[in-house]
Amino acid sequence: MNDLMSLGIHRLWKDHFVRNLNPGRNPLTSSSSSEKGWNILDIAGGTGDIAFRMLDHASTINNDAHTKVTVADINPDMLAEGRKRALETPYARSPRLDFIEANAEKLDMIPDASIDLYTVAFGIRNFTHKEAAIREAYRVLKPGGVFACMEFSKVNNSLFDAVYKRWSFSAIPLIGQVVAGDRDSYQYLVESIERFPSQTEFRDMIKDAGFLVPGQGWEDLTGGIAAIHKGVKPA
Amino acid sequence: MAPIRLSKSVFGTLRVKPNHTLPIRQRCLYHSYEHDQPPPFPEAESSILSAAMRHVPDHGFTNAALKFGARDAGYLDVSTNLLPRGVFDLINYHLVTQRLALKDSVQFPTEGQVEGKAMGVGAKVRALTLARLRANGPIIHRWQEALAIMAQPTYAPASVAELARLADEIWFLAADTSVDSSWYTKRASLSALYAASDVFMTQDTSKDFIETEQFFDARLKDVSRMGSFMGAVGEWVGYTGHSAVNVLRSKGVRI
Ligand SMILES: C[S@@+](CC[C@H](N)C(=O)[O-])C[C@H]1O[C@@H](n2cnc3c(N)ncnc32)[C@H](O)[C@@H]1O
Repeated sequence: MNDLMSLGIHRLWKDHFVRNLNPGRNPLTSSSSSEKGWNILDIAGGTGDIAFRMLDHASTINNDAHTKVTVADINPDMLAEGRKRALETPYARSPRLDFIEANAEKLDMIPDASIDLYTVAFGIRNFTHKEAAIREAYRVLKPGGVFACMEFSKVNNSLFDAVYKRWSFSAIPLIGQVVAGDRDSYQYLVESIERFPSQTEFRDMIKDAGFLVPGQGWEDLTGGIAAIHKGVKPA
Repeated sequence: MAPIRLSKSVFGTLRVKPNHTLPIRQRCLYHSYEHDQPPPFPEAESSILSAAMRHVPDHGFTNAALKFGARDAGYLDVSTNLLPRGVFDLINYHLVTQRLALKDSVQFPTEGQVEGKAMGVGAKVRALTLARLRANGPIIHRWQEALAIMAQPTYAPASVAELARLADEIWFLAADTSVDSSWYTKRASLSALYAASDVFMTQDTSKDFIETEQFFDARLKDVSRMGSFMGAVGEWVGYTGHSAVNVLRSKGVRI
């Protein structure tokens, strides 16, 4: 459904998201004493889209064979789909990839200060209590760890915004009905994006949880249709 | 039409005191005169970047230097995400901190303290510029890669702006008080001189960078020959701000 919504651009966004985070520890530029690889938690990661990209990047770009991703999702069907897709990757039976059923607002199975990188792509919009989820992210991250969130957002150019809104409110549910026979869930998608906080509001929510934010706090993608927000837990 | 309206409001104050107000306004933008200036970088960024600078001689201006810096500062590899421009943030940190360090690293004897003539503005500008060039000494073997990054389209505007700030800082610290039309030319000439010497220095293998000093002096002489020490030679530099004023005047704007 993301495919329809963003006309496939979301794959480019995901590539950019991962490349920019540059996961993995290059053995050539690491002091040998310290621990190996990153411990990554991909929340709402259902189908494993982000996780596979993270592991590919760590392995091929940073020659890191230790970085590990835990995919967490509230929906067991999504996790099943992810496990199935993992079979087509080199990570299916490796200790580098793990799937767990969890609600982002209550991650009791994840110890405090144990994660290097927490990612959530196109997921936080669906959370009932976004603040609670951000607080949990803060708790599970190590000092110096990074919270990174990619989400559809308020378009920042008024002309573009007007066109985009017309497109999203009328065309997307229609396409949804034609393609999937499911007008309602597309309507919900469009509305939940409209309700999602603006880039500045969301940046401030991240700051309020105690994170340091890089620069202005976010990066707009494709005229602000989506945005990447980051926060660093102080060390 | 639109640019003129905009310029009118920018230059509007000039009617009170023709020829003088604009330079003063501009000068307030940059120099480190105010004592209660906020620190140029937030605490966490500052601790990561200053630690990373210590790895530049070995690793260059690279992500590796940033990661080593982050770990030295008690952070993680992933914490380098705090720097949205990555390696350019490290280069920028070097540029800004070295510019701000000038006012403490170069101290001129106050008038009356020494016998004979006090140092002229020109000699002070020369001393400050050479001091700033020398501050690149420890990382000069890594400076070419930094210049290549600074020249990238994304970062060129920020790099040029920082160069302008450096030129302004030097003229300010040299206690140049003239606020005439040579204000622009002085800064533009010094920026050009500095940039040329900066690039020259990356190739300089002479002891104490003596050849860079000679190169700088030779260029300085070229510039001086064209007017009273970087004087009002608007034709030479063709500085846009300068010509903009003339264009507006020709359109009847009272400046
Ligand atoms: C639009 S999908 C995004 C999937 C993937 N991250 C991507 O970018 O393609 C949203 C996901 O969020 C999950 N989700 C919704 N609420 C959640 C919650 N409270 N905790 C964890 N996951 C949740 C859904 O099950 C779904 O898999």
